[in-house]
Formats: sequence, C-alpha cells, structure tokens
Amino acid sequence: MKFHEKILTRFLSCTSPVDKEGYLYKKKERNATYYRRWFVLKANLLFYQERPADRHLLGVIVLEGCTVQMLDSDGFFPFALQFGSGLKTYRFAAGDAQTQGRWVKALFLASHSYLSGLLRVLGRQYEGVSVDILSKQQQDSTNSCSTFKSLSPPTNSLLVPTLGPFPLVREGRSFSASAALPPPSMPTKMAAKKSPKKWPRRNAHVTPLNGPAPLYGEWPLVGSDPLVEFSKLHDFYGQEVQKAREEWLRSQQTEKEQSEKDLIDLG
Amino acid sequence: MRFNEKELVCLSRQPSEMAAELGMRGPKKGDVVKRRLVKLVVNFLFYFRTDEEEPIGALLLEQCHVEREDSQTFSIAFLDEAERKYLFECDSEEQCKEWMDSIIKASYEFMRKNLIFYRTEIHRLTGKDPLEQYGISDETRFQVNSGSQLMTRDTSSL
Repeated sequence: MKFHEKILTRFLSCTSPVDKEGYLYKKKERNATYYRRWFVLKANLLFYQERPADRHLLGVIVLEGCTVQMLDSDGFFPFALQFGSGLKTYRFAAGDAQTQGRWVKALFLASHSYLSGLLRVLGRQYEGVSVDILSKQQQDSTNSCSTFKSLSPPTNSLLVPTLGPFPLVREGRSFSASAALPPPSMPTKMAAKKSPKKWPRRNAHVTPLNGPAPLYGEWPLVGSDPLVEFSKLHDFYGQEVQKAREEWLRSQQTEKEQSEKDLIDLG
Repeated sequence: MRFNEKELVCLSRQPSEMAAELGMRGPKKGDVVKRRLVKLVVNFLFYFRTDEEEPIGALLLEQCHVEREDSQTFSIAFLDEAERKYLFECDSEEQCKEWMDSIIKASYEFMRKNLIFYRTEIHRLTGKDPLEQYGISDETRFQVNSGSQLMTRDTSSL
C-alpha cells in the first residue's frame, strides 16, 4: 500500500502544533535491542528519527486502534503500543518514571477516535449550556434580544462519522482511549444535512473475501452514555499516572537514603 | 520510511459512513480517471480497486485544501503543491458536497480547533473548564494558544 510519504513529512515540518517530543528507547523487533530515537508526536502520528536535527525520518506509527500499556520492570521504564491480535506491538522505554508516565498519557490522548469522542461530549455540553442560557434570556425581560450574543460554533456540524470503538484490552494495566465510545448520535439541532443517498452503496464496506471480519473494531454497546464511559476511562488512567508518580517518588527516596547511608559508612 | 502497514490496512477495513465508488485521478500529468472505492477513515482517505481488500494507497488529510472543481467534482491539494491535485468525480452534486464536507471535518487539526472553541465557550459560559474533570486541562494538545510553539521537550531524560 502506498503511504504518500511526502504528505507525511510535510505535515511533520509544518507549523501545526507538536504535541510532544523527546528521546525514548525503541525496541527493534528482531534483535530485542533498544535503540535511542528522537520521537515527535503530532496529532495521531508518532514520527521517529535518530536525532532531532535529522532530515531523514526513520518511520512513523499511526496511532489508531492501539492500546497503550504501561509495563512493569525494575529500574527500567518500559511501555508498549499494542495493536491487537496478529498485529504489531511496539515496545519503548523511558529514562525515568515521570517521562514514562508523560508519554503513556500523551499517547493515550493522541488518537483521532479519542479526540472525536471528546468533541462529542463537549459538543453536547455546549449545546446544553447554550440552551439553558437561551431559555434564561427568554424568560428575562423583553429587551434581552439586543444583548444576546450569538453562540455559534465554527461549523454547523461537528459530528464527523467515526470508527466504532476498539476492544478494550484489559491485560494488566492497558487501556484504549476509544474503547467505550458509542457511535456519533446526531442532536437534532446540529445534524449534518443528511439527504437520501442516491449513489449505490454496493462495495461500500470492504470485508474480507475469506473468513470473518477482523475482531479489531467492534461495534459499541447500544445505549451507553459517552459521558459515563469517558469518565471511567479517565479515572482508570488517572490511577496509572498516580502509581507511576508514586513509584518515581519512592525511587527518589531510596536513592536519597542510599546516598545518606554511604556518607555515614566511611570507616 | 517505515510505517505500520498491516495496522493501517486493518484500519482501512473498518466500517465507514463515507465509502463510495468515485472516479479518481492522480496529480501527475498523464494520470487518468479510474474507478476507485474511496473510503474515509479517521483522517485518512483510503482508495481501493473496486474488488480488492487491500487499499492501493492512503492519503493523510491534514494540511490539505479541498476545492470544488465543477458541480460533481472536487479536488484535494496538499501543502505547497497547489497545482498537484487529486481529483474526485462524484455521481451527484449532493454527493460531492457531502464528501468535501466530510473530508474537511475529518482533519485532526480542524477537530482540535473545534475542541478549543467548545472548551473556551463552555468555560466562558459556566466558569468551569470542561477538561478539568478528565485531568487533561494542562495537556499542550488542548491548549487555547496551541498554534504557537508549545512543546514538551524531554531531552533531559536520556
């Protein structure tokens, strides 16, 4: 499959925001050795190269449909990006627990699915708030119209069709940002102009000719509340960061005690 | 440049509302219109030969310019190369409009701007930052002035 590299490299070098960058160790699949690489996270893409100044990009990882796993190890801060059965697992390591925690969080928030879920939630909230204000304004005096400021978002429809969520992989401490988000529901006010489709929908979904459709990408639970699911994910994630932080603090404490101990045992 | 091809192919097979057979023409001189199954998944436009499972290619829909060419045709041009356009022929004006709309709105950067708009407005109207409850209010990713050089550099860690 052609992946149009030029478009990617241009996106990397353009002025849109860099979401995170820094050195990490990346494990090479074949020889199980970790190599230090410079990573740049932009939108839902993780680029990597040898050094920050390098013009040559080694590779890119599209962060959709993967779970981020914080892994346990002594004195070593690994984490992984897992893409599901039959697909790759990328392994990384940070230099300390804080960096590890920050990258895990950044990668967790990076997917397009995550952003669209968050956007749905905020969109509904915004709508609710606007309606409240509108009704309050109407309840108030007769001359409220002139003071009412128009509250319109940049566009009339922000609910872009998105993927169904990916299965939540609960192995140890892994989780997927898009796991429990239901498909977009169109609020009546902000629905896109959905007119009847006149073109053929044959071949609209490419499914495998042999065997069942891949597990990767199951339809969501019907009727689940995005707000509830979203909070659950964040609580779960919050615990991870807290744990990482505690471990780091503990390691700092042990180091401190060690050095103090050395100071005493001179004789 | 390496990329996670297998995973991308898997992504391209996810159900999508925006998937249809369109006439597609590449940007190079001499490219002709070919019938392709075009599919929008997250911020990628995948295109397949109509009876094949694996896409021929994937276009990242960031920093691109979507333009109406005629009543049923639209084009996508990428940064710096306004003349090099990918052309898409639809079956109706309506279909054309819908595709253009969907492609623009699928861009991560477009969505980020909307998020920032909502965040700012909700904060303004309610006095509360809606991202706080999720513990993500400090993420550079969702900052209001994220157009500037707000980056987290971790050069010290290794």
